[in-house]
Amino acid sequence: MNPSVQMQNVCFAYDRGRPVLRDISLTIPGGSFLAVIGPNGAGKSTLINLIAGLLVPRSGTVSIGGTTVRSYRPADLARKIALVRQEYVPVFGFSVAEMVLMARTAYYGPLGFEGEADRQHAIRALEMTGTAEFASRPLASLSAGERQRVFIARALAQDTPILLMDEPTTFLDIRHQVRIYDLLKTIQVNESRTIIAITQDVNLAAQYCDQALLLRPASSMETPTQQRQTASSPCQYRIGPVRDILTAEHIEEAFGVNVFSGRVGHRHFFLPLGRMAKDAISDSTPPANEQG
Amino acid sequence: MRTWWILPGIAAIWIGLGCILWRPHHADAGSALRPAQAPTRIVSMAPELTETLFSLGLEDNIAGVTQDSDYPPAAAGKRTLGTFWQPDIEAVVALKPDLVVALGFEPQRSLAGRLTRMGYRCLMLDIWTVDDLFHAIETLGEVTGRQPQAQQLRDSMKARLASVQNAAAARDKVKVLWVVQRDPLRVAGRDTFINEMIELAGGENAIGATVHKYPAVGGEQVIASVPQVIIEPTMTKGDLREQRAQAVSYWRRFATVPAVANDRIYVIDGDLVSRLGPRLCDGVETVAKCLRPEAFGE
Amino acid sequence: MHRLLSPKILFTRTAVAAAMLALVLVLCSLIGSQKISLKGTLIGEHSSAVPNPDYEILVHIRIPRVLLAAIVGAALAAAGVTLQALLRNPLADPFILGISSGAGLGATLAVVAGLGWTLWGRSPVAVFAFAGAVGTVWLVWTIGRVTGKFHVTGLLLAGVVVNAFFSAIIMFLISIARGQQLHATMFWLMGNLGEEDFFALWVGGGCVLVGIAALYLLTPQLNAISFNPTDARSMGINVERVQFLAFVISAFITAVAVSLSGLIGFVGLVVPHAVRLLFGPDHRQLLPLSTLFGAMFLVVADTVARVIVAPAQLPVGVVTAMVGGPFFLVLLVRYNRKVSWLR
Repeated sequence: MNPSVQMQNVCFAYDRGRPVLRDISLTIPGGSFLAVIGPNGAGKSTLINLIAGLLVPRSGTVSIGGTTVRSYRPADLARKIALVRQEYVPVFGFSVAEMVLMARTAYYGPLGFEGEADRQHAIRALEMTGTAEFASRPLASLSAGERQRVFIARALAQDTPILLMDEPTTFLDIRHQVRIYDLLKTIQVNESRTIIAITQDVNLAAQYCDQALLLRPASSMETPTQQRQTASSPCQYRIGPVRDILTAEHIEEAFGVNVFSGRVGHRHFFLPLGRMAKDAISDSTPPANEQG
Repeated sequence: MRTWWILPGIAAIWIGLGCILWRPHHADAGSALRPAQAPTRIVSMAPELTETLFSLGLEDNIAGVTQDSDYPPAAAGKRTLGTFWQPDIEAVVALKPDLVVALGFEPQRSLAGRLTRMGYRCLMLDIWTVDDLFHAIETLGEVTGRQPQAQQLRDSMKARLASVQNAAAARDKVKVLWVVQRDPLRVAGRDTFINEMIELAGGENAIGATVHKYPAVGGEQVIASVPQVIIEPTMTKGDLREQRAQAVSYWRRFATVPAVANDRIYVIDGDLVSRLGPRLCDGVETVAKCLRPEAFGE
Repeated sequence: MHRLLSPKILFTRTAVAAAMLALVLVLCSLIGSQKISLKGTLIGEHSSAVPNPDYEILVHIRIPRVLLAAIVGAALAAAGVTLQALLRNPLADPFILGISSGAGLGATLAVVAGLGWTLWGRSPVAVFAFAGAVGTVWLVWTIGRVTGKFHVTGLLLAGVVVNAFFSAIIMFLISIARGQQLHATMFWLMGNLGEEDFFALWVGGGCVLVGIAALYLLTPQLNAISFNPTDARSMGINVERVQFLAFVISAFITAVAVSLSGLIGFVGLVVPHAVRLLFGPDHRQLLPLSTLFGAMFLVVADTVARVIVAPAQLPVGVVTAMVGGPFFLVLLVRYNRKVSWLR
């Protein structure tokens, strides 16, 4: 019921460009909430698009529940994966309800209309995301946060075991961010769905996610000799439980920024500090610091 | 994709509908109107055809003409059927014609085709040259039962043309530039009936052979063609003298050209020379007068 | 704000629109440059040995023409809806991808070459126009594909280039045309619902009908694709196939319409846009309603063109632009507060 996502030796480059993903092999266990974190250009969106079948790897395979993504028909793949990206206003003025129902297009009857079951899924999705009150309003009349929730509702209406999210909260205020993460966590836990979310907010990821995938840009990886010298990882990525992956060390290695991490009680936090920041870390201070 | 089967279904219904509704469109309706006697309700779709029909003495048998059939004056009293370029098919049908006479190019051709399919009797005439005109007169004479008048018309026209040609034969040909439009400058080329008229009148087209029938020419070609006479037919009904004054002032820029230097610029009535009809001889005679005013007692 | 579409609402609205179209067809076939009496037509085809002009005019001239206008209007509006959805641009019209210049080139070639042969008594202009339209669409599609699968910008650019190139050729041909050819060409290019006969109506009407029905089957997918094609893909729609089918079908019905009537602009642009303003962007409704309203619009426009300067006729394209423009402006102004439909 909870298909896992597997990538084996996946390599990808756009057209004839430099490789974006080098030899990625990982398994995302079913039912987990995975945060995908990394600097811009690391290939996070590329990874998500590969899982969603929108891109085809140069080599290697991506499979869901044991079957390669490539071998799925679009309609069948849509029953396994739903994709949510950053909200936008479409050219034509569809209403919230119309948009959410579009997710059920693959299930429409011969006349091209939704059935009762489809309507139920849509209503449920709207209620779960707290957007039922907007149902007949055009998308342009909503705020960004409300709209993002509608996009999530559409993915929920698709009723898939796996949800892929590409930076769903980057431009939202903290209230909306928290609200959405609460929603995602609820979905994961109550409905046993797998959620894979790209996020820039390390702290949110640490609070909500069980697993983390830390991705570096392929171009920033050292040559094998350099790797041996500096004892740095030969891999473009690290994946594992959040506690193990999201450490100040790893984040600094991935982003190239000084990170001050700490713990208040049992609550961890990460604070990236630049040179000019008020509490800037000087070169002599050891980067990571655990305070009891 | 079971629902796509509905498409052949729709196509089948449509084809069935077509088969049911289709009736052989009165292929014979026309035959009821093709009696042995001559047609009495003739419709003319072109001014030159109107003129010809009148010349054959068919004035009383003409039911309708196009709006631009302005000659002879009696034609103005006939029912109008739209214009030469935009004939009104409804008006034609309303007149219940038993013969429709039209020229052989668009939009007349499709109109005639349509009327024929509806069962009307149509006669399409291709009149591009003077010879075509004579053939057309002969055909019209046969169809309308006016062979003697047709013969007479042809004979008289041929005689007049012959006399013009004879008068011009002994002399050198006059180089003529025939200007149909001034801005941009367009002239009649060699592949036109105008050229025929020029040659009948004892002239020669100053412009050599061109791809276009009515080519646009530039100033250099005008000068290089060294015309002795410039003829401008005009379609506007105004004072010819005034129009000539305008033409002269326009041509002043080509002062080196013989026609301009010798003030041999002529503005003539366009109707006489744009229709291949009975007034062709008037047109040719007018042109001949322009080419050799002394010979014709200008 | 519009309600969510349901089969019942769709059926009701379509039925009402169809009834309106039927009424318009009847009324407009009774209007024309000649006065005819309805009683006169009932006498039948022949009264004594002479054909009955009332009957002739109504049945053999007016009705075919009015039906032709309906077919062409329906085809152009339906194609307009589809192209606006595929290109995600409410200002697209069926001619945007080169069909107009391709058909124009075909027609102009046929006229200027002075081809003497006829197809069952009809000039070959229609066939050449159709071939030109279809060939151009293929050309634009192929060129556009160079930029990747159905990349909208690539297609639009290819359309612009092809349009410019073919228009230049058309202008050259016009420059060498004789007077009467010139006139015929211009008239065709301005749109002319010259009467067609039963056979042409039957074939053309059948093609358009089947084409629009096929497009209707694609409307749920068009909804998602007009929203965003990538999202549509992840919702399980085979986007490439739907885009290809929709494109080919709408190009086909446009080519049929153009070969029957020349280039009539505005219908494919204004009618879908207006219907969307009034009823919303759901293509399951937008397509059938635009089809019916497009038919109505062109029938009315053609009637005006036939009558207003009788006995001459205005080219239909002139009337559609002059009527369509202000009408559309009024619609925009009245629905200004609902401009959210547009963005």
